[in-house]
Amino acid sequence: MSDQPPRADVRGRRAVAPILLAASLLCLTVSTRSLEGVPESLGLTVLGFFQRGFSAVGEFASDTVASIGELRRLRANFEELSAELERYTNMERGLADLRKENQRLKEQLGFSQDAAYQRIAARIVAKDPENLYSTITIDKGFGDGIRKNMPVIAFQDGIEGLVGRVVEVGRGTSKIVPIYDSKSFVASRFSGGSRTEGLVGGQGSPDYPLLMRFVKKRAKDEVQFGDLVATTGYESLYPPDIAVGRVKKVRVLDYQTSIDIELDPALDFSRIEYVFVVKPEAGAGEGDR
Amino acid sequence: MIRSVVISTLLLIACAFAQSAWLGGVAVLGVTPDIGLIVLIWLSYMNGLVAGPVSGFLSGLAEDFLSASPLGFHAFIKTAVSAAAALLHGSFYIDKLLLPVILGFAGTMAKAIAAGALFLLFGSKVHAYSPLDRILWIEAAYNAVLSPLVFLLLGPLGRFLVAERRRA
Repeated sequence: MSDQPPRADVRGRRAVAPILLAASLLCLTVSTRSLEGVPESLGLTVLGFFQRGFSAVGEFASDTVASIGELRRLRANFEELSAELERYTNMERGLADLRKENQRLKEQLGFSQDAAYQRIAARIVAKDPENLYSTITIDKGFGDGIRKNMPVIAFQDGIEGLVGRVVEVGRGTSKIVPIYDSKSFVASRFSGGSRTEGLVGGQGSPDYPLLMRFVKKRAKDEVQFGDLVATTGYESLYPPDIAVGRVKKVRVLDYQTSIDIELDPALDFSRIEYVFVVKPEAGAGEGDR
Repeated sequence: MIRSVVISTLLLIACAFAQSAWLGGVAVLGVTPDIGLIVLIWLSYMNGLVAGPVSGFLSGLAEDFLSASPLGFHAFIKTAVSAAAALLHGSFYIDKLLLPVILGFAGTMAKAIAAGALFLLFGSKVHAYSPLDRILWIEAAYNAVLSPLVFLLLGPLGRFLVAERRRA
């Protein structure tokens, strides 16, 4: 008896890969024409649960190792802070008076107490498993009020900077496309004197500079190294005046009618742990789930 | 066969979770290794034309849910890479160093070619590697370096992961 498998069996085995490739292409065809993200959202909900679990395990392991040294530091900090607390308790009394006075002055000037927009705090639990895409996953989903296309910001070194926008929402997790993604575009302008506008896009990696395009050529004499670029807020997903980046290099090409400006992102993305998802103002239309 | 496909798929999905949640810390110039791809190459090389592509397809589909890619993108790439590796099934003796390095590097190149093919078909709706971009070359080198270690670790798990043991 021969060891060779029957010819039909071999043909069947060879058909498996082409069938699966065809199924993948079918999925791609459907999803790129967008079934409004329903299958993706469902998948994210299920797999996001396990992804959070993996993140928690990793965090637990690193926290356990770090906690030994942390204990020693905490004891020293405790004594230091106890002394400081006493000092702040005295300051608090003075602060209460100042707050009342501030409130009275605000009322006289007609300022609103309410913030322009509400924020939902979230923790980054994972990043895209592949290098081709640059998604960030956070631990809040539609159960927490997050909707598609909501802008995401973060605070770092006293700066409120733009992180990106929500592209997919699951029950307990959401995916964010950061501004350094090559498919991300943000209407921006210079915060300083010139107020010149342009469109900021990413180059696919936080290590590459952001590119501000379609900046009028006459702005080249006004733009200086380190100038801050922020969101415009016009007809945009993003609220106005959120820092995007700082000028790193200006590229002027004679044959172009506009100049390209390289920006260093306002935030160091490798250090961001927590972000804030910005809820639109009341009355402004919310994105889809 | 079904048991090994299920275990292999779960292992590949676990690799995707690990890559997304943990491997950011070992990124070289912002590029993380694709451990799942290395595992998939080994599985496909050992299992042949059915179990490898099926596991690749299912784990790729799971990865599509975790990534911003359109559904089917990673499923196609992982199926294509695993089919290519499965075609080599039993052709070579896997040594401890050279062949794993070659397979890790070539697998990353196959992945880039598959992504490029999808880019030709679907245009800007999908991402593709640029041969001029450092990301592709760093990832290929990183995968090549890690392949011998991953292959070594997978060896003892062979009885759970390999559907049909190759004849001596």
